[in-house]
Amino acid sequence: MTSAYFISQLMNGLCLGAIYALIALGVAVIIGIVGFATFTQGEVVMMGAYISFYVFLYGGNHVIPGILGSFIATWVLGMIIYKICYARFLDAPEHISLICTIGFSMLLKNIALIFFGADKKPMLNVIKSINYHFGPITVSNVQLLILGTVLILVLILSFVFTKTDWGIRLKAVSQNREAAALIGIDVEKTAMIGNSIGCALAGAAGTLIGIYYQSCYPTMGATLSMKAFTSATLGGLTSVPFAALGGILIGIIENIGIAFSSASFRDMFSFGFLILMLIFKPTGFARKRSVRA
Amino acid sequence: MKSKTGKKLLSLLAITGLSVTLLGACASDVPPAANIDTKSATEDAAETTGTESSKVIKFGVIAPLTGAHAEYGQGFDAATQIAAEEINAAGGVNGYTIELECQDSAADAKTSSDIFTRYGEDDSIMAVIGDFTSSCCKANAPLADEYGLVQISPTASDPSYASMNDYCYTVMYNQSTAAPWTAESVVGHYLGKTACAVMYLNTDWGITTNDYLLQGIDKAGIKLLGDESYSENETDFSSVIEKLKATGADCLVILDQGNVPTIINQVRAADWDCQIVSLGPGASDQILELCGENANGLVIPCPSYITEDNPTTSDFYKKFFEKNKCAPTDHALCAYTCVQVLAKALESIDGEITREKIKDALKDVQYDGMAGHTQFNEDGGVNRDLLIIQVVDGTYVIQKEYGYK
Repeated sequence: MTSAYFISQLMNGLCLGAIYALIALGVAVIIGIVGFATFTQGEVVMMGAYISFYVFLYGGNHVIPGILGSFIATWVLGMIIYKICYARFLDAPEHISLICTIGFSMLLKNIALIFFGADKKPMLNVIKSINYHFGPITVSNVQLLILGTVLILVLILSFVFTKTDWGIRLKAVSQNREAAALIGIDVEKTAMIGNSIGCALAGAAGTLIGIYYQSCYPTMGATLSMKAFTSATLGGLTSVPFAALGGILIGIIENIGIAFSSASFRDMFSFGFLILMLIFKPTGFARKRSVRA
Repeated sequence: MKSKTGKKLLSLLAITGLSVTLLGACASDVPPAANIDTKSATEDAAETTGTESSKVIKFGVIAPLTGAHAEYGQGFDAATQIAAEEINAAGGVNGYTIELECQDSAADAKTSSDIFTRYGEDDSIMAVIGDFTSSCCKANAPLADEYGLVQISPTASDPSYASMNDYCYTVMYNQSTAAPWTAESVVGHYLGKTACAVMYLNTDWGITTNDYLLQGIDKAGIKLLGDESYSENETDFSSVIEKLKATGADCLVILDQGNVPTIINQVRAADWDCQIVSLGPGASDQILELCGENANGLVIPCPSYITEDNPTTSDFYKKFFEKNKCAPTDHALCAYTCVQVLAKALESIDGEITREKIKDALKDVQYDGMAGHTQFNEDGGVNRDLLIIQVVDGTYVIQKEYGYK
């Protein structure tokens, strides 16, 4: 095994990890603000990809309108998900809303099957693929776009949640709803906005993933959703930068594992790493266990 | 408080279920969703022609209407309906009209077996057409024996399937002959390659096909530079592709069906300018749609090539396109053949039609149709010659006719 080959596999892992990270960011935002786990992210990603597919189909291959279309549509979808899966169960045991998100994800998948069909839709040449060669490393412009998006989103979200009044209000709702209400925060509206931000990020991620894999289909979110949740778990569930780090690490571990064995064992590497991590450090990369009031 | 929450949750679930049902009912012109029964038009025809209910023969169809192989499953549904409609329009078989019931297995062996069990326990089902993958068919084989119910698969090509018991049949060519032929005649003779790499789906079908392909590669003296498997739900093939690219191979053989377009796109995205050969997908429209220019040069061993221009297949092509909004592949043609073969078997049965009599009658059936001559061998399988088809400027072109060695 040459070092060039090893570096290429590392790069592939980094790019795949960036895709996991892109979805994990939304998961961390939702758990961090709403305070409940979500299993709808994979299907929101899929819906985002379909929205942009139709934007590209009828409006031409322009990336920005595609991302904007899926961002707005999945923002609205986030509001619907909040109303159905969370709003009525804020004081109920957590598993109620969790089961509700699982049910809603199945509903979304079936709606997609009925309205879009089961076959894959092509998303060809939205961005003309250009490969850049840095010594032994080959990286495409789409991969760089995804990596750059993850980095920028991590910086923006971290800044908003820690340095702005608005972001601190969002965090306050997840930490103690009663106290947040006492200081005049509209808890329900704030939590709904938090859910919509998470979903809109997933929708935009769907556009980029569709462009990267050059297709979209109703079941595309299932595996990605599990990996994104795993990434967020590694990051301590609520931390945006650590969720991104979790995603990237999983991508790299999977690809390095495949380099030494077989792609049939991909899930064994990622979930094996998660189990080991949780055994030795249950809080994930975060210093403290995430707390929901 | 808790009971109120429970009631609200129940109401929500009920509303959700109702919404899905209503949406499904509204969408009559779109593909069916998971586990939704799709009754054929022939059912209505049988009811409206005033035929007695005892003069209806019902076949169950199991197909992956959703998931990675949905293109093929929906093709099964449409093609079997076309065959039944044609037979019924011509007066049926011995006075019987054919009725079909199609259910979605999503190419999942457990789901497929659940559906087969339901068909087995339903006395009105006289034979089952399906499933798509050899894995599903093999999972159903013991149930076929238990219920004494024929399972005739349009596409199961694992050589170990049809010989599992007397109730298992397939009309698809056998990988024990097709895979070695692909290695020797396609990779070796037609393409003139002396080395190649292989990537295959880690399922019963993929593993068996890979074994036979490697035998052919060995026999033809072709150097095997890499042989990699991947799981069925894989979406990112970059690590496998990088691994095989690093071997220096200039020819890649892909053993898969639904994932082939994704793999081709990722091979090209990795700047790997190799010759691609794929055994499994047939001349699929989805490959051309999803790959665009990336598909150019792709070589596919294929048992048939159905076009609108070909007078033999033109009528079937048009009917299929009308139903399924895409061109038929050989897999769909094989599903059509299954219904025709069953009808031939019914024709030869005297007296009351039973599951047992259908099983026995199939052994002697000879059917000449668009997929060539169909006659089952001792194991319940068939042997067919293959064409060599290549994508040239975005369309399929037959490069070598049947019989190429």
